[in-house]
Amino acid sequence: MQVIDFKCPNCGSDMVYDSESGMLSCHSCGRTDDIKLMPDPLKRNVFSEGEATEYHCKSCGAVVITDADTTATSCSFCGSGIVLGDRLTGKLAPALVIPFSISKEEAMRAFRKWCRNGRLTPNGFMTADRVKGITGMYVPFWLYELNNAVEVHAHGTRVSTYTKGDYRYTETQHFDVYRKIRLNYVDVPIDASEKMNDELMDKLEPFPYDQLKSFKTAYLAGYIAEKYNFDEKELFPRAKSKIHPFIEEYIRSTMTQYTTVNYTNKQIDTKLGHAEYALLPVWVVHYDYNKLEYTFAMNGQTGKVVGKPPISKRKVMTWFAGISASCFLSLKLISWMMGGGFW
Amino acid sequence: MRRSGLILSVVFFFFAVFLASPMEMKTAMALTPEGKQLIFDEAGLLKQEEYHELTTLAKQYGAHRETDIIILTTNNDVNGDVMKLTEDFYDEYGPGYDKPHGNAVILTLDMNNREVYLAGFYKAKTYLDDERLDKIRSKITPDLTSGDYALAFQTYMQTVDKYMGYEPGVNPDNPLFNVWVQLGASCIIGGIIVAAMVIRSGGRITINRSTYEDANTSGILDRRDQYIRTTVTKQKIQRQQSSGSGGGGGGTTGGGHSHSGSRGSF
Ligand SMILES: [Zn+2]
Ligand SMILES: [Zn+2]
Repeated sequence: MQVIDFKCPNCGSDMVYDSESGMLSCHSCGRTDDIKLMPDPLKRNVFSEGEATEYHCKSCGAVVITDADTTATSCSFCGSGIVLGDRLTGKLAPALVIPFSISKEEAMRAFRKWCRNGRLTPNGFMTADRVKGITGMYVPFWLYELNNAVEVHAHGTRVSTYTKGDYRYTETQHFDVYRKIRLNYVDVPIDASEKMNDELMDKLEPFPYDQLKSFKTAYLAGYIAEKYNFDEKELFPRAKSKIHPFIEEYIRSTMTQYTTVNYTNKQIDTKLGHAEYALLPVWVVHYDYNKLEYTFAMNGQTGKVVGKPPISKRKVMTWFAGISASCFLSLKLISWMMGGGFW
Repeated sequence: MRRSGLILSVVFFFFAVFLASPMEMKTAMALTPEGKQLIFDEAGLLKQEEYHELTTLAKQYGAHRETDIIILTTNNDVNGDVMKLTEDFYDEYGPGYDKPHGNAVILTLDMNNREVYLAGFYKAKTYLDDERLDKIRSKITPDLTSGDYALAFQTYMQTVDKYMGYEPGVNPDNPLFNVWVQLGASCIIGGIIVAAMVIRSGGRITINRSTYEDANTSGILDRRDQYIRTTVTKQKIQRQQSSGSGGGGGGTTGGGHSHSGSRGSF
């Protein structure tokens, strides 16, 4: 019983999660079920210990081809949505999920629009007609609660200048500065999948946390999902380094009355409050251009697109020449107005 | 595509105008009245070919600025004052691009006392005030001292031409007026903006320090701002010496022509 699928009780077709209505819906007969009210099949089933080596599609019986991290996919023979239950239980059970709010069609439209707006991308790229595939994927994230105790000793100065007679005086007031700060961060997302590029995932933020829901397997129906490769302890250093610049900014913001600040002693103690396992929605677009494959990611809720597009050298040069020439013209005009002559 | 083509053509138009501008100067040269003597090398400092080259240059720049650019060298056997020599020369000879006793700038070398005097008359008085003449003099003095007279005279003519292109009262050596500074600054600005565009093409980070901050439970628990001491440093303000017009370098000739001036030794 490791494999779960979602068959329509009315007609037996596959049911999928509908991003528009937020319901599990059947495309054949139009039946919709509220996921929040459904019993989760995961909770009813008891899985045997250890990971199964082979999964069989419940619709057609074919072997489901997946890699070791996949938790939800579709059968490559009959197309039924399948959830691999044993990869979502025990330690691997997600606590939260943000479902998709952007459908596949909307995602394609948004991606095409984004391509057209690329001022530096080659013209051929802008037409966006080489999309190799677009996949709705639930990416595993840890949402960290981090509690920081901060203590800072610093030397601050306030500088003022005034003139008296023939002299300009610079008056520097020196202060001994101390701050004790409690700084808590909640739901700091760190992607826990080995496959996903960390930099790309960071740029997808923020995810709308008001859309967070308790995890129900049915949300995965019709999408791909992955399980985490790194647990919350392994990724704790990355979470710490992610909030570090925020802490620095906060500390400095408590000392704005000083012209200069020199830290003599700074202690930041970060404690892991707790971390929740959440699945966040990402549209992954694979794109072929000039025999190279580019990968883009789109936030499945906000539609924000990230990823390195190809850059046209010609367009870069054109923009550079255009901006430089107009700067040159402006400088010429300024110097002319100041009486410097035009040539 | 069409837009980038437009930008390119604007750029090319610019550089075409920029490259074409020296040509306009050469055509203007043809209008100079021929046969006018501008270099009076009584001390015999110049070779024949230097004399011809400098005369050509003086005519070219003179036509450009509508001013006679004159050089007078003398052994000063009568041991007169270099400023008086210059004034008398102007009264007597009556140079001027526009009319006799008109626009002229004169460089006088007194080889006897090794003194140099620069004087600007009419248009040259307005555009080459005492301050600008001082700048020209300090530019050519090292070459005069070392005996590179032809080079010094050439620098003199070029600088006169350059400075007369700026409105009176502005600093002609302002770096903002330098075409290379303008070009360099434009390229740096263009480079920074385009680099930012390239970096941002992959998507920007749109979170900040308050995105994940729990404002309800965060805050300052304890703070201390203890005053220790005050230190004061003082710096003398550099006041620009105002060069009094009339008093310093310039004056009025016996014939009643007022002029700007700058004198010094070499
Ligand atoms: Zn149905
Ligand atoms: Zn199947």
